[in-house]
Amino acid sequence: MAHCDCFSEHFSKRHFLSSIDARVKLLIALALLLMVLTYKGTMFPLIIAAVSIMLCLKMRIPLKVLAFRLAQPLLLALVVLLLKFFFSGNDTMFIISFPSSNFSLFTLTGHRDGLTEGLLITARILGGVSLLAAVGFATPFIEFMAALSWLKVPKPFIEIMMFTYRYLFVFLEDATTIYSAQKNRLGYTGIKKGLNSFGVLTGSLVLRGLEQSQKTADAMSQRGYTGDMPLLKGKPLRAIELAAASLIVAFGGAVWMI
Amino acid sequence: MRVKRAALFFLLFTVHYSLFTDVAYAMHISEGILPLNWAALWFAVAVPFLWFGMRRLRELSKIDLSYKPLVGLMAAIVFVISLMPIPVPTAGTCSHPGGTAIPAILLGPSITVLITGVSLLIQALFFAHGGLSTWGADVVSMGIMGAFAGVGIFKLMRKFNAGLAVSAFLAGMISDWAIYFTTSVELASGIRGDEPFGPLFIKILIAFVPTQLPLGIVEGAMTAGMVKLLFKRRSDLLVKFGVIKAGEAI
Repeated sequence: MAHCDCFSEHFSKRHFLSSIDARVKLLIALALLLMVLTYKGTMFPLIIAAVSIMLCLKMRIPLKVLAFRLAQPLLLALVVLLLKFFFSGNDTMFIISFPSSNFSLFTLTGHRDGLTEGLLITARILGGVSLLAAVGFATPFIEFMAALSWLKVPKPFIEIMMFTYRYLFVFLEDATTIYSAQKNRLGYTGIKKGLNSFGVLTGSLVLRGLEQSQKTADAMSQRGYTGDMPLLKGKPLRAIELAAASLIVAFGGAVWMI
Repeated sequence: MRVKRAALFFLLFTVHYSLFTDVAYAMHISEGILPLNWAALWFAVAVPFLWFGMRRLRELSKIDLSYKPLVGLMAAIVFVISLMPIPVPTAGTCSHPGGTAIPAILLGPSITVLITGVSLLIQALFFAHGGLSTWGADVVSMGIMGAFAGVGIFKLMRKFNAGLAVSAFLAGMISDWAIYFTTSVELASGIRGDEPFGPLFIKILIAFVPTQLPLGIVEGAMTAGMVKLLFKRRSDLLVKFGVIKAGEAI
């Protein structure tokens, strides 16, 4: 349950990307993501992946954390690649018969066009996920919220995100404590017992959430909360940052068009 | 035909057992899997539901100041639940529940779409579960389909006088399977290329059966456990959210 080392706040806060405006980082990421998704080959997404991973390492993100972040999408990518390779396409690359070609119980057919399509999707996944990882590690959550607000994401949505972020760690800790207590008392020794314990754990969390929400609202209204939460107001964008962003996007666009 | 089927079976099981021996997550579609046109289409489907959820949130938070914190905290709980590892005995792996049925039963489906949207955006940005381009597709499968299927079954079962725990169990289970079904549709339509949709959809559906079928049952048990505990300890809250009437037995 301990996958909470995912926010930039948990890692080095002073790196070369920390001083750049979150709005600029988000705009660059969205533009590059659009290019990754619309590129017809593998080169551009792979370049984006390589640059993004290098940026993460330069920000001193531990390799283990980075590998963990990329593991799940890459496993999915591998499944898609295998599905496309073996079950999609017309251009046969090879046929493997089991146990032999004379007496085959089952055969596997690899397709060249399926492999090409699979690799294309895999590259897109790698490019997209690495790019988002780099932006996620480079930007504190609160700045991200301000950038989303600037991009006209509706305020109630951002407010809910802020409440969620605030209580995420509280509930993670609660869940871990309850889970450990249940485990120590053999709460997960059988399927039936495990399901029961899991139901109790979930119910306890929901109960705490319901009770806490009332306390939070009371505490907030004592401090002047009237139903709207203030968000960070962005300073005007700096010309040099905008120029650098335009250059990066233009360079990406040039590579995309090659 | 039989040979092809056997090959498919062998490959899918090999892939499944070799890849998912550690952890498999609830069914998020990763960044980059869907081409732009499909990503845009699912986004367009998700937006009206999110808009409706936000309108409902505004209305309810005008009446009750604690409603926004409540929705935010529920989103945090859904987030935490979706990170919990559940052993799936048939697949020999751990998996993670969606957790959509719980807020859907308590707060209603439109607010649940919003909760799911928030959770999915944080997960996409900071956990690489799902993605920005696939956010719409994930909201459609987990938020819209998961919530509406869960609430629909729950209300239907209650209409037929089924017990609270049984109704919650079925709501959790069907909600999970609805997510799994919709994700398979989205994946098959997004990655099929020039292939026909049907066969690829079946292959994807089969690929996730060993994890998702038992996970649905686990999710059902978890939802039933949650409702039972709430009934035992704070039945007034279930009355407040309109899940049961005052004085009703489980």
